[in-house]
Amino acid sequence: MTGLTRVLRYLHDFAAATHAVWLREVLRMLRDSGQIVGAFSRPVLWVMIFGIGLTPYFRTGLRETTFMVPFTYIQFILPAVVVLNLMYPAIQSAVSLIWDREFGFSREVFASPTPRSAVFFGKLLGGGTIAMAQGLLVLLLLPAANVPVSYASLLGALVPMATVALAFTAIGLFLASRMSSFQGFGVFANTLILPAFFLASSIFPLDPSLSMEQALQSFPAWLVFLVHANPVTYAIDELRWVMLGYRQFDPITARTVLSAFVLIPVIMAYHAFRR
Amino acid sequence: MTDSAVIEVSDLRHSYSSVEALRGVSFSVPRGSFFALLGPNGAGKTTLVHALCTLLRPSAGHVAVAGLDVRRAPRDVRRTLGLVFQEPSLDDRLTVFENLVFHARIYQVPRRQRRERAWAVLELVELQEWANAPAGNLSRGMKRRLEIGRAMLHEPSLVVLDEPTTGLDVQSRRRIWEYLERLQRDYGVTLLLTTHQISEAEGADLVAIIDRGELQALDCPSTLRQRIGRKLINLQIRDESFRQSLSERFTGRCTQRDTVLQIEADDPDELLRELVADEERWTMVDSLEIVDPSLEDVFINLTGRELRDRTADGMR
Repeated sequence: MTGLTRVLRYLHDFAAATHAVWLREVLRMLRDSGQIVGAFSRPVLWVMIFGIGLTPYFRTGLRETTFMVPFTYIQFILPAVVVLNLMYPAIQSAVSLIWDREFGFSREVFASPTPRSAVFFGKLLGGGTIAMAQGLLVLLLLPAANVPVSYASLLGALVPMATVALAFTAIGLFLASRMSSFQGFGVFANTLILPAFFLASSIFPLDPSLSMEQALQSFPAWLVFLVHANPVTYAIDELRWVMLGYRQFDPITARTVLSAFVLIPVIMAYHAFRR
Repeated sequence: MTDSAVIEVSDLRHSYSSVEALRGVSFSVPRGSFFALLGPNGAGKTTLVHALCTLLRPSAGHVAVAGLDVRRAPRDVRRTLGLVFQEPSLDDRLTVFENLVFHARIYQVPRRQRRERAWAVLELVELQEWANAPAGNLSRGMKRRLEIGRAMLHEPSLVVLDEPTTGLDVQSRRRIWEYLERLQRDYGVTLLLTTHQISEAEGADLVAIIDRGELQALDCPSTLRQRIGRKLINLQIRDESFRQSLSERFTGRCTQRDTVLQIEADDPDELLRELVADEERWTMVDSLEIVDPSLEDVFINLTGRELRDRTADGMR
């Protein structure tokens, strides 16, 4: 075998193995009725109940707000719900790693000639795909939420969505590589997802018309800080920009943070996985 | 290294922190043979198997599979191996067929052959009707059969089975046995099997007895049995005092299990003549048999311990 054919052979095997692992993740999800119920009920719950319920308070506000935005509350939270429906399945997908260890399937994979890195990418892409599918599901609610979206902006939405999907799958894989119990993982995942979601300017906006000093007057400093430090904030902001043409944060900051938000967890998960 | 050997192990050593699991094991497995690794739990069998299938890097020594060094070419070694693990390793949510196709993909079976081979192995282990059932619906015995079929999917030259019949009922066990014999006979596959059950080793071409991380003996079962040289006489005697007096007379040469007294004899004829001579007591013997020593006896002879007792301890 010449060097080139060997490289091609390796790439082919790598792709076949990645595909196998990816396909398995997707098939497993499709057979998990709990996941599918969650994928449908979560957005409906947030958009239909939370969204409709809070709409009257959004413009007037329960407290004195100086804040007006040119859209309804449902329109405002819809991008955030897309992100929420990405975060859950992405992290959840990594449970398969613990599952495999517990029920012996990891032996079948790790004793095979497949390189570990191919298994890792299969899992990462598999989790990402599952999350994207559930995130896209939320977009079915767009007509109900009365958000006018063009096909072009839908394509644009795929980028920040994929960022969140991959980043949270990687975070899940990182955690699952270091944890041995399902329960521990579940608790950890939940304590991570909910604050990351709530502190992302998702269900209440940090008033964009206010300067930092003014924002600090209407919100406690820790809250303002956490919202700014949370990468999910920028993902939601990007999505709002694509879907509603409205953003609260500087686009360059947002895109830099999001790039780092994908790369760092993926690299960490890769190392944790290879051990 | 000989061409006819599929596995060459020389001076293999491995320690887990302070425990020495393998203390210098050497042997070779001829191509096409059925090789049984017999020993109690905790003897080092699984460590040895893991070293063979490159799941573990041994502390010292050399292992070659199909002429390939496990340390230098682990991926090539894995391609030539079919593995059946002690614990189940199927994805219960995938169907039987999907499990096989997954295996074909990660073992780099060419795309055009995947489905064809998956059907072929399903036929081999007689699970065609279950192809589209989730693997989780199979019984334990069927899962084991599927795993054996799966191990054959990428056409390995060697199949390694770690305690393949553990936890199975007698019927499933027998069935698995038939498949293994067929593999060896029809496909010319070399089989390496670990077991702590003597009966499973009896049918092998070669038996390696391993205990406390060391190889105690390696030969074909009949030669191993002949090694003891003696015959065994089993006497069933209900009368306790008679049993007592006999066991005192043959101290060191007899063992007792319930009402059965087993006496080792270099020359059984002479011993029997002596027993029959005592007419009154002879009538108290309920049954008598003369048997060749079993592998279990060989094991006791070599290690001074019984295989069963240690497994009953649940030692690992």
